[in-house]
Amino acid sequence: MSESPLRLPPKPKPSPWAIALSIGMVVFTVVCARTVGFSFSGLIEDLGRSNPVAQGLLEISWGEMFSERSRRAFLETLQMAVLGTTAGAAVSLPIALWSTEVGNPYRIPRILLRSFNNVVRAIPDLLWAGLFVLGVGIGALPGLLALFFFSMAVIVKLTADTLDGIDMGPIEAAKASGASHTQMLRTAVVPQILPAYSSYVLYDFELNLRASAVLGLVGAGGIGQRLDFFRNRGDWGKLWGLVLMFFLVVVVVEWLSVRIRRRLV
Amino acid sequence: MIRFDKANVTYKGGVSAMKDLDLEIGDGEFVVIVGLSGAGKSTLIRAINGLVPLTSGGLNVNGHDVPNLNAKGRRELRSEVGMIFQGFNLVDRTTVLNNVLMGRLHQVPLWRTLIGKYPEEDIQIAAKALDRVEILDRAYVRATNLSGGQRQRVGIARALAQEPKIVLADEPVASLDPPTSHVVMKYLQQISRDLGITTIVNLHFLDLATAYADRIIGLRDGELVFDGPGSDADEQTFRDIYGRSLTADDTMAKQAAL
Repeated sequence: MSESPLRLPPKPKPSPWAIALSIGMVVFTVVCARTVGFSFSGLIEDLGRSNPVAQGLLEISWGEMFSERSRRAFLETLQMAVLGTTAGAAVSLPIALWSTEVGNPYRIPRILLRSFNNVVRAIPDLLWAGLFVLGVGIGALPGLLALFFFSMAVIVKLTADTLDGIDMGPIEAAKASGASHTQMLRTAVVPQILPAYSSYVLYDFELNLRASAVLGLVGAGGIGQRLDFFRNRGDWGKLWGLVLMFFLVVVVVEWLSVRIRRRLV
Repeated sequence: MIRFDKANVTYKGGVSAMKDLDLEIGDGEFVVIVGLSGAGKSTLIRAINGLVPLTSGGLNVNGHDVPNLNAKGRRELRSEVGMIFQGFNLVDRTTVLNNVLMGRLHQVPLWRTLIGKYPEEDIQIAAKALDRVEILDRAYVRATNLSGGQRQRVGIARALAQEPKIVLADEPVASLDPPTSHVVMKYLQQISRDLGITTIVNLHFLDLATAYADRIIGLRDGELVFDGPGSDADEQTFRDIYGRSLTADDTMAKQAAL
């Protein structure tokens, strides 16, 4: 016996808004490509031309990866990333707590703190570095300051979002036991967010390590400054050597960080 | 001694959860509050430790004038009143011992709390509380890894660690199965008797109420509709409190049989 096919309710028509939006986005992309002068033929032509930068790939300077000055630059990058992350993470926990309803019963200070953090986050790390280079001169210090502010913005944002979704039960229990506000935060709130917070700190360390490659371009120290040096001299072989080394360091650090973070959460 | 004096609680939006309540509870009493959900049981319990403020009227708890306490006075009051919750309200990610030590916070200096290093005598008090509910061997287990009944025992230990004069229990067995519920109720009863702690328990199962209460208080729509010894409460009493005839849902034994 064959079953008669079930009759479905009438299929809803696609929304005219969705259609208009899709067409609009295609048109917008094409217009943008035209305005910036992008063309595939041009791209292929450029790639085919002989290029000293690309040729540098064939003569990578392996020695540069381990030269004294490069080693020092790498060390500086790592130090900047570690210090920037640690300092940023240390101030982030209280700021994140004070910028949420759980941690701060006063509305106005809470809003001010959140707005301040949004402004800090709206400024990209490279711009922070540029500003600090103007303020305190070139070197590792402006890079460190830039990473500090950037870390704070990132960790506070992520931690505050986590705080908004915690279990309120332990908070009520702590209050009912006669704990002070700070005691309540320490015993009922912090244990709940500690794994997520640690994971954000590690993630921020990855970001900082990568950012330090770019920070040097504006004179804020680290491996970036060394990269910039070879770029200006047109010494592409050595530049690629450094890039390759940096790539390896980043991959290893990320691999470790991802593994640790997976265990945390 | 707890004394409500023409006490009223009206929530934002106009819901009245306590209406002109006059009530006196003496030291060491074991009182069970019954009533439908929304009758004002939780409000009554939370008024006692100031988690819910009175809208008007008076409330005196062991000499504390609850409506007129400042922040410090409120913390002092709360340190004398232990509380047990329906959802246990434990910090899942930390150990049983750390959860119980929360009951010592009112005694512990802030810096010690921040670094998580509690004085030895407070750890001893916490251990004694855990021992009383026979769960000391799980002290270093994370709270997540316990069963519901064990979690509520940790909740009781946390309240006991305060060395309280009063214990408030808000639907302490509502998330537990019947045998575990009896275990938890027996602990509460035993602690009240052994240590002379005034105990006030919200329940919605009538058979549990009559089995354990020295005194039953019935609430309906925020009003006191019954106040008498547990032995006086019969089916007719509960029909009056509930304002309807009883169903299988109202008794734990019958509900379990369903």
